[in-house]
Amino acid sequence: MNCRECVEHLYEFLDREVTPELEQEIRAHLEDCPPCEEQYDFEELFLKFLRARCKTQGAPTELKKRVLRELFGE
Amino acid sequence: MAKSPPVPPASSPVPVDEKRASFEREALVHLDVLYRVALRLTGNPADADDLVQETMLKAYRAWDQYEKGTNAKAWMLTILRHAFINEYRRRTRHPETVDVDAIEPYAVFPDVQDEDPQGAFFDKIVDDQVLRAIDQLPVAFRETLVLSDVEGMSYQEIAGILGVPVGTVKSRLFRARQLLQGKLYDYAVEMGYIKGSPA
Repeated sequence: MNCRECVEHLYEFLDREVTPELEQEIRAHLEDCPPCEEQYDFEELFLKFLRARCKTQGAPTELKKRVLRELFGE
Repeated sequence: MAKSPPVPPASSPVPVDEKRASFEREALVHLDVLYRVALRLTGNPADADDLVQETMLKAYRAWDQYEKGTNAKAWMLTILRHAFINEYRRRTRHPETVDVDAIEPYAVFPDVQDEDPQGAFFDKIVDDQVLRAIDQLPVAFRETLVLSDVEGMSYQEIAGILGVPVGTVKSRLFRARQLLQGKLYDYAVEMGYIKGSPA
């Protein structure tokens, strides 16, 4: 596996959406290639950052009440 | 003298109480997810409220068709997305003409590799700014990114909800993330969080 292929599959790898064979290949490449490993860390951090920034919001209480009222007349 | 309980009419296969209980158990628990996705799709709380409300009503009406115990979250998100697309098409005379699948990905990492390989500049960007940047993505990118990165759904689930092949989910997600990264990077440069490479 070369660097271009590795970077191409980084997100799938981070999302745990690669086949076991491809996973092995990527792991092996990352171990031998510091620049790709650095990019892997960077992309992993970016995804964690995204999740943390967006996950906080929940439905407003008023909406919950409105839905219940509409569905069950409460 | 106690009477025997009334027999439900033959036309209603599931008693109302049972329907309600299973709907509360399997569907209503996803209200927060539906709201977050609706908010990112519509871009404002009032429209998100309406979209969620409409989704819940449609889901409740169609509840008998949902195979209990499968994936209620994905089923409801599919309803929500259809409702959004219909409304969106109705309101927008000229829907997005951008061919999202032709947008070239642009990697930020090579630009920050020397100055900030750990991406410390991300930490300086506040929630609102991130959400605003997501809201600027083309709809096809936004919905894919939100389902994956905010709600943690699998490629297969997302493909089912959006009605596209898994390969399309994969490539849209790749480009959506890079596009978003690019927007956040530009913002960080503008704000002086990072020097950035000269254009």
